[in-house]
Amino acid sequence: MTESNQDPYVEWIAAEARRPVQLAADARVRIMDAVRATPLPARPRRGSRWLTAPRTLALSPLASAVLAAGLVGIGVLVGISTTSRDGRQQAEQPTAVAANAQLPVHDSLQVHRFELRDPLASNVSLVGDFNEWSASATPMERTADGKWTVTVHLPPGRHVYAFIVDGAKGSTWMPDPAALRAPDDGYGAPNSVVLVGQGSAT
Amino acid sequence: MNRRNVRCALSALLAVAMAAPSLLAQGPDPLAKLDTASRRMVQSLIDSARAEGLPTQPVISKAQEGVSKHVSGPVIARVVRTVFLSLRQARATLGSGANRDELTAGAAALQAGIPAAALIDLRHAGRGKSITVPLVVLADLVTRGVPRDTASRAILQLWQGGAGDADLLGLPRAVEQDIVSGAAPGDALLNRARTIPIRLPPAKVPE
Amino acid sequence: MSDDAADVRRVLSGDVDAYAALVDRYYDQCARYAVRMLGNRDDAEDALQATFLRAYRALAKYQERDKFSAWLYRILVNQCRSLAARRTQRERVFVREEALLLNAPDDAASGWSGEDEEFVQRVLSELDPLLREAFLLKYIEELSYEEMAALTGVGVSALKMRVKRACDRLRERWERIKHD
Repeated sequence: MTESNQDPYVEWIAAEARRPVQLAADARVRIMDAVRATPLPARPRRGSRWLTAPRTLALSPLASAVLAAGLVGIGVLVGISTTSRDGRQQAEQPTAVAANAQLPVHDSLQVHRFELRDPLASNVSLVGDFNEWSASATPMERTADGKWTVTVHLPPGRHVYAFIVDGAKGSTWMPDPAALRAPDDGYGAPNSVVLVGQGSAT
Repeated sequence: MNRRNVRCALSALLAVAMAAPSLLAQGPDPLAKLDTASRRMVQSLIDSARAEGLPTQPVISKAQEGVSKHVSGPVIARVVRTVFLSLRQARATLGSGANRDELTAGAAALQAGIPAAALIDLRHAGRGKSITVPLVVLADLVTRGVPRDTASRAILQLWQGGAGDADLLGLPRAVEQDIVSGAAPGDALLNRARTIPIRLPPAKVPE
Repeated sequence: MSDDAADVRRVLSGDVDAYAALVDRYYDQCARYAVRMLGNRDDAEDALQATFLRAYRALAKYQERDKFSAWLYRILVNQCRSLAARRTQRERVFVREEALLLNAPDDAASGWSGEDEEFVQRVLSELDPLLREAFLLKYIEELSYEEMAALTGVGVSALKMRVKRACDRLRERWERIKHD
C-alpha cells in the first residue's frame, strides 16, 4: 500500500521505478539451460517415517560383513548396495539405498565414506565435484584416533575431490594420499579420483 | 554382529549421512563470484559443451573449483576451456558411444599428455566393457612420474590380457610404495605389472 | 492448490520443464527489482540467474503454506546483496556502457524515456544499499512492513526507519536539483 502523505517527488520516483524493465531476450532460456544441467532437487525427506520402520531394512550378508568389519573402501567403495556374492539373497532385498526412496530416482546414490588421518589438523573439510567445491558444505568429523571422516551419498561414477586441511600453517588443499590421482589441470593443486560403484572384488 | 545391531548401525550411519553434510552447497552460487567477462566465457563454454552433446557438469565443476580456490577469473576461463577442449577430443577419440565417465577420464588422460593413440588402442582392445578404469589408472600413473609411453603400453597390455578392475586399481598404490623405496617409476610399474596374471576372455581360451 | 505449489510439486516429481512456468511467472517482476537494486542490467541478469538456480536447488525446502513469491524474493534479495558486495568499481563502469546500449530504442513501445529511466536509476543508486532495498520493497514491490520483515530478517521498526530515511534522501536530492 502506498502511503498517502507522500512527497510528490518521491511518488514520481516510485512510479517511474515501477515501470517494467527489459532484459536480454534469451535470459530465461539461459536460466532453463542451467537448470537442466543441474541435478533434480531432492524430494522432501520424510526421514523420521523411514527410520522408525527398521523392519524394512535387510542387509545382504556381504553388506553386513562390511559393516561388521568396519571396512570402508578408501578411495574405492564396496557399495553397501551390492548383492551377495555367495548367492544367498534375502527374500526382500532392500538395501540402504533402495529403502531411502526419497532420493532422486534417476540416480541411485551410494553411500561413501571419505577418510583422512591427520591428528594435527584443527579442521578438515571435503570438497569435490559433488558439492560445488564448497569449503563449507561438507565438514569432516574427527574421531578419537586423529582420523577425519565424513559419509556422503554419491551418484555412481567418476568423481574428483580433495581435502581442505586447517593446520598450524593455515589452510591447505590436499589430495587424498590413499586415493587415485587426477592430473593437475592448471589450478596448481592435484586432486583425487574416486570411482563410486566400482566393485573391488577380484 | 547380530542382525539387530547391524540394523541399528545402519540406521545411525544413514541418519548421519542424511542429516549432516548436504551435498548442495549452502552458500551463494559460486559462479556468480566470477567477474563478468570470465563468467561470460565460462558460460559460453558450458553452452558449447551442451550444444555438442558433451557433459556439462565437468565444465561447470571445473569453474566452481577455480572459484573455490580463489583463482583469478581469466585463469579459470583458460582452465575451463582446456577441460572443454579435452572433452571434445576425448569424444572424437573414444567415439560417440563413450559413456560420461569414459569421457571425463579420457579427457583427464589427454590433459596428462597421454597420446590419443593410446586411448584408441584401449577402445579397440575388444573387451566390450567400459575403459574408465584403465583410463583413470593410466592418468594416475603418469601423474606419479611413470613415463607416458611406458604407462600406456603396460596398461594396454594388461587390459588386452584380461586384467580385472581390481588388478588395475591396485597398481597405483603398489607403484607408489616402490617409488618411495627408491625405484624409478617406470621400472616400478613394469615390475608390478608382471605380477598380474593374464586372464584371457573366455572366447580365447583354447579348448 | 495455487499454480505455484502445483508447479513446484511437478518439478519435485521430476518434471524439469515445469520450472519454466515458475520462471515465466516471476521473471519480469524479479528483473525489475534486480535492475532497480543493482543499477544495471548485466548485474541484474547475473543475480536473476543465480536466484532462479538457487531456488531450483532449494525447491525441496519450499513449504506450500508460504507464498512462493515471498520465498523466491528472499533468495532474490540475498543474491542482490551478495552481488553488490562483490562488484568492483571497474566492472561498474564497463557494465554501465552495456546498460546504455541495452536500454536503446525499442522502449518506444512502453513510452518510456530512456533519459528518465537513467535518471531515476542514478538517483536510486545514490541511496545507501540498505535504504534502497527497503524503499524498493515498500514502493516498488508494495509489500507490507510485516512481509518485508519476514523477507529481509530485519525488524519492522528498523525497516520503517530505513524507508523514511530513503524518502528524506530523495527529497534532499530534489531540493538540490531545484536549486542548481
